[in-house]
Amino acid sequence: MAANNINAVKFQELIHGEKPVLVDFWAPWCGYCRRIGPAYDQIAGQYGEDLNVVKVNIDEEPGLAEVWKIEVIPTLVLYRGGQAIDSVTAPQSKADIERFIKAGLSR
Amino acid sequence: MNERRMYDMVVVGGGPGGYSAALYAARAGLDTVVLEKLSAGGQMALTQQIDNYPGFEEGVDGFELGEKMQAQAHRFGAVTEYAEVHGVDFTSDPKVIHTSEGAFYGRTVVIATGANPRELGLAGERELVGRGVAYCAACDGMAYRGKTVVVVGGGNSAVGDALLLSRIAKKVILVHRRDTLRATKVYHDQLRKAENVEFRWNSAVAQLLHQEKVTGVRLRNVLTGEEETLDCDGVFISVGRKPVTEFLAGAVALDGSGYVVADETTAASVRGVYAVGDVRTKLLRQVVTAVADGAMAVHMAEEYLAENA
Repeated sequence: MAANNINAVKFQELIHGEKPVLVDFWAPWCGYCRRIGPAYDQIAGQYGEDLNVVKVNIDEEPGLAEVWKIEVIPTLVLYRGGQAIDSVTAPQSKADIERFIKAGLSR
Repeated sequence: MNERRMYDMVVVGGGPGGYSAALYAARAGLDTVVLEKLSAGGQMALTQQIDNYPGFEEGVDGFELGEKMQAQAHRFGAVTEYAEVHGVDFTSDPKVIHTSEGAFYGRTVVIATGANPRELGLAGERELVGRGVAYCAACDGMAYRGKTVVVVGGGNSAVGDALLLSRIAKKVILVHRRDTLRATKVYHDQLRKAENVEFRWNSAVAQLLHQEKVTGVRLRNVLTGEEETLDCDGVFISVGRKPVTEFLAGAVALDGSGYVVADETTAASVRGVYAVGDVRTKLLRQVVTAVADGAMAVHMAEEYLAENA
């Protein structure tokens, strides 16, 4: 299962929903963002039951990047109940991303 | 032992060396797994345009080339597992690879973990990556069009970066701890001819100055101790590479810089273990030399497996 790109409207709907949301803020010109892609899609498949796993292209949604103060990409942010509960920039491995998710969800 | 995780060959690292080994191994009928922590391609995946890999007359995107190498190895039956390797045991038979996803067992092992850019170790260096601190002029240079950048280092890659940036940036300042360059002579004249390149000899970066982004650097003269502040928009750090070999912790012989000691046969100090690509002691670290290593490692592994059947 691939992680879908969402727009600002869908973003608002999801982060206020029941399930926590993991967002990958990225852009097509960011080389390291692409490296995250294949592992991130796998994570969408693995964690899909507990978590909405999505992406935001900051070139298409600059407003979201500004509101959530995304200065560096790729940045992954975990949201619950409309709030950002944690973030990680440029994770080094799929295992890094999984550690980040598990730590965030156990809070 | 988990039988499902027993392989003829375990390849650690999914760059060009690793996937070439996997391709050759799979075609030789060896049951092969590639352990990759993030995505195919390794360092190559961060290079947008590779112009010195034969067969792509218009150049090729490094990330795409990585995915193609992976798909080609998969076509012949090799598999990839997303796993981060934590440690190894090469004394047992089969050899054991400990990972974030549990243990993998291999009759042979190919080390293909590559090398990462060496850091200066300055305060804020990691946090400022992408906000003024960069390690790859070819990757990140375009963001500094018309700006002022500092390049740190004096070897071929630093000088190559300075030349590339001189065609993009308004001004390039090359900072080097010695009073001469270690780079190959042909680069020197080109660099001296570039009108927008300045030099700061016998100097090291003492501090990164920044708000949200880099605003400048504080330099220290290593002979006199004198300090100087330079305003700049970016700092390109080009002070060599660091092989990814910490997980090996004494399992095979490494040289003084941490590279796996192996000659053109790729055979490491333990029988049945091979080192390919940037992680191996070698003179030239390129995609083409990495893929050649991959083929060689499989040739050696086939001999080893035949002798130890």
